[in-house]
Amino acid sequence: MKSTSPQNPNPLKKKLASRFLKAMKKLSHKISSSPSPPSTAERRRRHRAVRAAAYASMASAVGPRRAWSRALLRKLRSKATATSGRKTARRNPRNIGTRFLGLNELCDVVPGGKAMDSCSLLSETGHYIKCLRAQVQIMREILDSSSSSSSSRIL
Amino acid sequence: MSSRRSRSRASGSSRITDDQIADLVSKLQQLIPEIRSRRSDKASASKVLQETCNYIRNLHREVDDLSHRLSGLLESTDGDSAQAAIIRSLLL
Repeated sequence: MKSTSPQNPNPLKKKLASRFLKAMKKLSHKISSSPSPPSTAERRRRHRAVRAAAYASMASAVGPRRAWSRALLRKLRSKATATSGRKTARRNPRNIGTRFLGLNELCDVVPGGKAMDSCSLLSETGHYIKCLRAQVQIMREILDSSSSSSSSRIL
Repeated sequence: MSSRRSRSRASGSSRITDDQIADLVSKLQQLIPEIRSRRSDKASASKVLQETCNYIRNLHREVDDLSHRLSGLLESTDGDSAQAAIIRSLLL
């Protein structure tokens, strides 16, 4: 099992962190150049932008090596170009209905899951969970470090 | 895990063996903290899959919540302190 102590940094995590932080920097520049009080719609848009940046940095850090990251990249790109219609019809999931009912749920949750067979779905899920966990950790660390610094400023 | 039932079906990947599925399910079991903490090796496959779905959904919700807080953070702090926090967290 990989140890997640700070002395032993996970290379995937570093990659995720650098990409996500770059995206955040870009967002913060955009925000600082706009007028100060944001409307609710603007706040919602920023929230969505941060979330999209999180998933985008996950998918791009992993690259096209994994089916879930490919599917995620496709989805993000299609959202960026604002094409609402689904061009590719969803193929029937192969071999999923034969065994476990839980796989139907799982393929909904994992990006690109519906087009995979049971084996790939299970292995992709494992990798997806690892990356999601790392991403959540990074976001928490950013929040913690900034909140600790801001509290030292206020007091 | 040691016994391999030699089901020689068609050599193509049209049939997935039980062993493969069980193997992958046990790998998932290791990843999910709830099941791992219960120390039961024989969690049923459907339970593992269910817990996996729940776990992934929870992670999605966490990402959503954290991005909400991060977007608020971007507004409240000016550029310099945000960048300082960023550099500090990168070194962690």
